[in-house]
Amino acid sequence: MSAPQLWRSPEERGGEREPTGEFPPGASELDGASRRDFLALLGASLGVAGLAGCTRNPPPEVRPYTRQPRDVKPGVALHYATTMTLGGAASGLLVTSREGRPVKIEGNPEHPASLGASGIYEQAAIYHLYDPQRARTFKRRGRPGSWAAFLAEVGSPSASFRRDGGAGLCFLVEPSGSPLLASLREKVLAALPKARFFSFDPLARDAVFAGTKLSFGRPLEALLDLDKARTIVALDADFLSEGPFRLRYQRRFSDHRMPDGAINRLYAAESALTITGANADHRLRVRSSEIAELGLALLAAVAPDRGKAGASNAFAGSAWVRTAASDLRERGAAALVIVGSRQPPFVHAIAAAINAELGSAAVSYVKPALDDLAAGPASITALAREIEAGSVDTLVMTAWNPAYAAPADLGLADLLKRVPTTIYHGLFDDETAGRAAWFLPATHDLESWGDARALDGTVSLMQPLIEPLWSGVSAPEVLAAFVGIAERGPLRLLRESWAERAPRADFEAWWGASLQRGIIEGTAFPRETATLDWTALTGAITAFVPAPRAEGIELDFRPDARILDGRFADCAWLQELPDPITKLTWSNALQLSPRTAARLGLATEDRVEVKLGGRAVISVVLIVPGHADDAASMALGYGRGGEEIVARGLGANAYLLRTGGAPWFAPGATVTRIGGKKLLALTQEHWSTEGRPVAIVVNAPDVIRRHLPVLDTQKGPQPTVYPEVAQTGYRWAMAIDTSRCTGCSACILACESENNTLPVGEEQVRLGREMQWLRVDRYFEGSLDDPRVLVQPLACVHCEDAPCEVVCPVAATVHSDEGLNEMVYNRCVGTRYCSNNCPYKVRRFNFLDYAKDLSKSEELAMNPEVTVRARGVMEKCSYCVQRIEGTRIRAEIEGRPIADGEIVTACQQACPSQAITFGSLHDPASQVSILRADPRSYGLLHQLGTRPRTEHLARVRNPHPELG
Amino acid sequence: MSNPLPTGTLFPPWTTTALRVALGLLGLGLVVGAIIGPMIYVRSPLFTGQSEPVEQPLQFDHRHHVTDAGVDCRYCHLTAETAASAGYPPTEVCMGCHGQIWNQSPLLAPVRASYFTGRALTWKRVNQLPGFVYFNHSIHVNKGVGCVTCHGRVDQMPEVMQSATLTMGFCVDCHRDPAPQLRPREHVTDLGWTAEDPAAVGHEIAQALDVHTRTSCTACHR
Repeated sequence: MSAPQLWRSPEERGGEREPTGEFPPGASELDGASRRDFLALLGASLGVAGLAGCTRNPPPEVRPYTRQPRDVKPGVALHYATTMTLGGAASGLLVTSREGRPVKIEGNPEHPASLGASGIYEQAAIYHLYDPQRARTFKRRGRPGSWAAFLAEVGSPSASFRRDGGAGLCFLVEPSGSPLLASLREKVLAALPKARFFSFDPLARDAVFAGTKLSFGRPLEALLDLDKARTIVALDADFLSEGPFRLRYQRRFSDHRMPDGAINRLYAAESALTITGANADHRLRVRSSEIAELGLALLAAVAPDRGKAGASNAFAGSAWVRTAASDLRERGAAALVIVGSRQPPFVHAIAAAINAELGSAAVSYVKPALDDLAAGPASITALAREIEAGSVDTLVMTAWNPAYAAPADLGLADLLKRVPTTIYHGLFDDETAGRAAWFLPATHDLESWGDARALDGTVSLMQPLIEPLWSGVSAPEVLAAFVGIAERGPLRLLRESWAERAPRADFEAWWGASLQRGIIEGTAFPRETATLDWTALTGAITAFVPAPRAEGIELDFRPDARILDGRFADCAWLQELPDPITKLTWSNALQLSPRTAARLGLATEDRVEVKLGGRAVISVVLIVPGHADDAASMALGYGRGGEEIVARGLGANAYLLRTGGAPWFAPGATVTRIGGKKLLALTQEHWSTEGRPVAIVVNAPDVIRRHLPVLDTQKGPQPTVYPEVAQTGYRWAMAIDTSRCTGCSACILACESENNTLPVGEEQVRLGREMQWLRVDRYFEGSLDDPRVLVQPLACVHCEDAPCEVVCPVAATVHSDEGLNEMVYNRCVGTRYCSNNCPYKVRRFNFLDYAKDLSKSEELAMNPEVTVRARGVMEKCSYCVQRIEGTRIRAEIEGRPIADGEIVTACQQACPSQAITFGSLHDPASQVSILRADPRSYGLLHQLGTRPRTEHLARVRNPHPELG
Repeated sequence: MSNPLPTGTLFPPWTTTALRVALGLLGLGLVVGAIIGPMIYVRSPLFTGQSEPVEQPLQFDHRHHVTDAGVDCRYCHLTAETAASAGYPPTEVCMGCHGQIWNQSPLLAPVRASYFTGRALTWKRVNQLPGFVYFNHSIHVNKGVGCVTCHGRVDQMPEVMQSATLTMGFCVDCHRDPAPQLRPREHVTDLGWTAEDPAAVGHEIAQALDVHTRTSCTACHR
């Protein structure tokens, strides 16, 4: 068995392109300056800098508190529990606050959705809060307005909608499970009984509820218990990176990827390659429209008497279906079929039927946490019909950006003009803000009081970490304005709603405890007994007609892996985060399989016109191995036209092609080359290790019987010319289990937030100048059309014999007595020799003064424990040395050694799958020592003799013996 | 005297060599001075600001409070033992005493104004480290480093001034060999305390408080 052949792009696989060097051509040039100019500038700046060093600044001023708040010690961080919501579902947070400003976000360990982890959206909330592009002013018909003027206008007894009990008043809200919003909604409806509420979310999960309604007679939420699942079949379900419980599911899935005999096996069928597909043991490329037939074939194979209809379709004979079905049957109660929310209700019902037939213990049902079960095209179409009929006089929109994200066939942006008074409440001056009569700037979740439900019903409280940075109001206040109670303020509204809902003698104590914990005890919904309605289902199966094979390309619409539906489009942190699979930054693209691209004569970066149903957009081709043939995918959220500077001009707007009838996939698209290229900022070939074997994958049975020849070559002592250094005290080290890692990239953002690394912009990324200390390499293995995928997070591995240290002429990178490879910014003169000599390519150089462009508000997001680096300085992973030193000081003052697990690095803390472990090797019982003793543990590029302190644990696959 | 003296008689030939040597030395001196001069300058009080009283917007006499009134450093610098920053007293700490005594003094009018209006008092910083240095008071105080070691005899200063150079050399000298600078914990804020045998006491304290050399760059620079 030899090391598997890994490749990162089709070009690299085909050998068409030499791997790019560490810095692509032009990366080290000063834009628009010749070498001579550069030397002249250098001389001049040296002189000026020399003079500047001669002066002393006047002493800075110090302003102590007049009355120091209890618990506040200047310079000491405080932590508060709060909540953020996405699509109405809660995610529990623990926020670090320094001198009254939130600087870092972690997951709340008590919250069911996060279990203490955080994902990219949670991490990015800090950037979102301080985003200088956020809307700051109330506007009335384009002129500055005010909250008081708004309250006066809607509170006035002569307001048009009050005349007829609210018959002309409509609300378009985000789907929500918030008890506070529900109680305010009741109050509004009590005062204005004819008012109507519609809800809208571009990523609405309507099909899930419609699916359970079909199978069980009532809408229910399916909760997965992946602890109990040993065979998992995911049908177009990216459960590891999408949906309200993605962090929880990632943790539970990864918990059972250990090669201990109880390892789970994942089968995934999907069109575009997703994180779930990348983690599958067996992945099947199918178009999204074929999933229904695939589901039927699976049902037929699992329960022949139930699913006769599927017994003879195109998938019935496929090896994937046969193996998956036999595996499912064998596991019985430990089997689970999951369907993604993109699939129609029918497919959800099929999955429920298979799970019921198998007696799966890994799925249970609860009452949906959302009050709005229809937030998709149906709901907003109903609103559009009302506007067309002229029955809407006042429209209040608190849902995110409907003018941009509504189905294209509704023409909502134009319809809004027909409504006499439109009111939009949003964080940004976006497409909808520009079309609304009243614009009300929203407060960020970190500035608001509120509550929200998690998928299982658990209520968590939202408390502000900071006063609103700019003027703004929260969604509950907007609703309260219509019943004249807005001036009570958000805190009183929230407390009153809870005092009403949960009256108790010790309310104050209960309230304090709930705020502190972040969740309200005992609010999770009980499990429901759900009995499958076979008659309805059999009827649906009989009535099912497979979609005819249409001409052209099937176009898939997907939430973007980074900016979601577009609501994070302004977030430079997320824009610059490489897509976990395609490694694309700062844009979306039309994803095609290599075969389809070849058939259409297209190559990556070709500009194309995508036509669907008479609508067209211009996009760029990106060939992605593993994509289904005759299909294409586009991520939503790009092609923005609002006032947000960062998002403008990036990518193409897929919403322009997305209709209410086919919100997730539509047949019959055409893709035509229109000539020209658009360069994409892809990071997949950056930081080449020149073909040296880096990532290792092994099969579970081989681990169990300790037959790991590939790993054996990666162990043992290597000759060295470095002097042996005696080690006493702590010896910091890290273990990264690539078998747990799903590639979600939350660690990258956590590192960015903790260590003040800055986004550099699309141009700079193309030059290979991205600054993220941590990267997650994605390798393909095997065939071009249907490769397997490996992911491997990599930051500085802190070599004991570090090649970077010996070449630094100014000793700016040195070794600490505890084994850290330290970077001393003040000594660094920017020769970049260290980076050149680093075999792992994990050092990052500040080519420009990226911190110079930070706005005043963005400066507040910086971690005060870490230096913000200047131009000309090298930087890299420090093992979060500020956390090490902070913990050391605490322990030393208390006169005790640092306990194992007491120091948690930022990446480790965020990681939803607990792939990263940090600790000291001096203690043989520490978690990291134990992991490094694992047979799967190896030092990267072992043959170079660098002796990395970060070791990786080989990724485990668990293929079915019959599929190999 | 129309015939000037021949030059040769006034400046004998060796003067040419001497001039060349002198010019050479001067040039060398300039070059060496240009290198060494700034190095001396940045270490001198001219640059470090050492021993330079800082005039505060509000007259506050440490001599009076520490020596005459016997107030402990930690009474006002609240977090010296528990946080990175020793802390500046909030106005309410001043008013704890001055609400009772000298509560009519015109000198204290700004303090009263701050207390009643909630506007902060403004002080000028005396001891300042660059932004890339992460100094933590609590660990030093808890390991037996006296206030006086870095801050000098504040109890004898009419206007507080920076007492130490606060250069990296100053810090590293002690980080390499901390023992001589240590004192019993109970004497940390006692500015006048001296040991009879500093070496022996320091060694003993280093043992008792587990004080060791810390010279990794990241101990202070992150």
